[in-house]
Amino acid sequence: MLDSLIQGILLGGYYAVLAAGLSLMFGVVRFINLAHGDMAVLGALGSLWLVQSAGVGVPLAIVFTLLGMAALGWLMQRFIFERALAGGFLIPILTTIGLGAALQNGMFAAFGSDTKSLGAHIGNLSWASWELPGGIFVGQLPVYMFATAVLVLGALHLLLTRTAFGRAVRATSTDAEAASLCGVDPRKVHRWAAAIAVALAGLAGIFLAMRAQVTPFSGPMMLIFAFEAVVIGGIGSLRGTLIGGIVLGVVQALGALISPQISILAGHLVFLAVLGWRLMQVAAAERGGWRAALSAALNKPDLSRRQA
Amino acid sequence: MTQMNQTAAGISRRAFNRLIAGSALAAPLIGTRAFGQDAATFKIGYIGPQSGPLGIFGAADGYLIETIRANLAGGIDVNGTKMMVEIITADTQSDPVRASQITRDMINSDAPDLILTHSAPETVNPVSDACEAGATPCLSTVAPWEAFYFGRGGKPDAQSFKWTFHYSFGSANFLNLYNGQWSLLETNKKVGTLVPSDADGNAIRAGLLPKLAEAGWEVVDPGPYENMSQDFSTQINAFKDAGVEIVVCFPFPPDFPVFWRQAAQQGLAQQLKIMQMAKAGLFAAEMEGLGDLGQGLCTGVYWHPAFPFASAAAGKTNAELGAGYETTTGAQWAQALGASASLFDAALALAVQAGSPKDKEAMAAAMPKLKAETAVGTIDFGTGPMHNCAVSGLAGGQWNKASEGPFQFQLDLVSNADFPGINLTSEFKPLAFG
Repeated sequence: MLDSLIQGILLGGYYAVLAAGLSLMFGVVRFINLAHGDMAVLGALGSLWLVQSAGVGVPLAIVFTLLGMAALGWLMQRFIFERALAGGFLIPILTTIGLGAALQNGMFAAFGSDTKSLGAHIGNLSWASWELPGGIFVGQLPVYMFATAVLVLGALHLLLTRTAFGRAVRATSTDAEAASLCGVDPRKVHRWAAAIAVALAGLAGIFLAMRAQVTPFSGPMMLIFAFEAVVIGGIGSLRGTLIGGIVLGVVQALGALISPQISILAGHLVFLAVLGWRLMQVAAAERGGWRAALSAALNKPDLSRRQA
Repeated sequence: MTQMNQTAAGISRRAFNRLIAGSALAAPLIGTRAFGQDAATFKIGYIGPQSGPLGIFGAADGYLIETIRANLAGGIDVNGTKMMVEIITADTQSDPVRASQITRDMINSDAPDLILTHSAPETVNPVSDACEAGATPCLSTVAPWEAFYFGRGGKPDAQSFKWTFHYSFGSANFLNLYNGQWSLLETNKKVGTLVPSDADGNAIRAGLLPKLAEAGWEVVDPGPYENMSQDFSTQINAFKDAGVEIVVCFPFPPDFPVFWRQAAQQGLAQQLKIMQMAKAGLFAAEMEGLGDLGQGLCTGVYWHPAFPFASAAAGKTNAELGAGYETTTGAQWAQALGASASLFDAALALAVQAGSPKDKEAMAAAMPKLKAETAVGTIDFGTGPMHNCAVSGLAGGQWNKASEGPFQFQLDLVSNADFPGINLTSEFKPLAFG
């Protein structure tokens, strides 16, 4: 039980990093990036290429990958997402679906279908562990990942709450038009937010490459876990994303304790429960309290009141 | 606004024209080889995954098809008649729906005399179903024959399919192999099983695990789990508590490194003597990804350059086929190379035994009796477990750090318990960590 709890919390760190970019993109740019998982895989394969083919050391490869992914994010926001956002609600979603498919097949053409992993290039770090009292083993890599998640999300939180850039980001995400009247350039803010978000996707990809193996088609499954962590933690909230990731990891680990078959299902169920609860809250707020909302839901939908 | 629209339309029209011109130039290059449509051409359709998650099974196709085309360029002799051979290929993109679609397209537009397909029920089953519906003979391999036969609604006591036949390993091969190979080492006979709740996994849990228990192995099964699970601490603790010294797994391949690294973190790997993989662990790339953790892992082997057979279609022995692939492509050989070659060997034997490959009824009538010498050994449908199935052998392989050469890992043959004709290349060694 305690062991599963610890393993779940550590797994949550990985989910949080995976979800952070998605959350940031949605919170600031109001943009659901369905290619997020594929961008993570691009980061993973990019760092693998640097290590395996270009002969760069792993720490340097991580730095290069993060910088490269940030630049890519900036460029994609500038040349693709900005235009897609101007096209209304549906276009950005379709754009990122197409981008995801193009990324998958592009990576397949560039890197081939062999599975790859960074785990072989970090010595025994991928499987080394510490033994805690009580015979509980914690893997060193999961601990480092969790620490990185807390550090990165904490730093981002400080960036958003304590700096001028953060103030601009928050202003833009609240009301882009009003922010631009006050001298903030929303497009600039969006581009930098996209750069950070895609760099975070790259970091998640590097983590994936260390703890598992990557193929060009690993992205969509990562997207599902990222989405769940974002929704559980509250869309657009970085602190919430960390909590969401940990909740998802713990629920999966505890679910496996009941039966290994419901591990992933438990995560999905908590995701649905949280989503349902949030929708109820919104409905309740609209109708003046949950009592009124419940009676409205049980009776016929009252359209006139919603319009009022 | 109008101006903008015109510009946009102009660019796209020009781009469109370029595209048309480009594809017109490229068409003859990528189109099927025109050997002529006369009656004396044996037309073989070859359908497999060349891209997508299963794409690794088709990675050797380019080399293989070129080799076979070159070898058969002068035609083949079918009972005194000289026939040319034409091979047309199609890529399923690892998608069962697309596999079915391209098979129908191929049958309708190219009318092949025989279709060959391989690798995983996700490919073999939809292609076979489309061939059955399209009345086209079809041979397939590399998927447990139970998944091919029962997965498509085959009945145990009758020939359920007229056009589609399959040869591969099945759960009995695994039982023979594991029994024989695991008995080579001194263990406490406690076996942990990591079997997911997918189609293959359910078949293994129902078919193989009880038989392992009957054979005297103490099976510790923590229960089915979902593919893409990210945390295996429950299973690992169950194995540690039971003190297992052998683990056998049938995971979705990307799940294996997650499990195995966590097993090493938690001290399970250090306690094991045998780590037996199926489904995962077929390719050297997976071992390279694991690094030191790949040393000593075991897997079933359905083709190896050291198998003492030859491919008539490629005109090479297995050793030559493996070496030729490595020198031509610079990549390491993989089991899919010989398994796919064996399909063409069986196709040539079928043409001779049917009398005329252009006569589909005669081909269908010859398949239940087909006996062929192939790169994976003798395939004999006359002695198959089911009317539409034949069984190939499964040798026991162990991944070891390569003693020399450009590649990091080599696959050593350590057990021939299920495949007596195979010579071993190395001694079976227990895992050694820590």
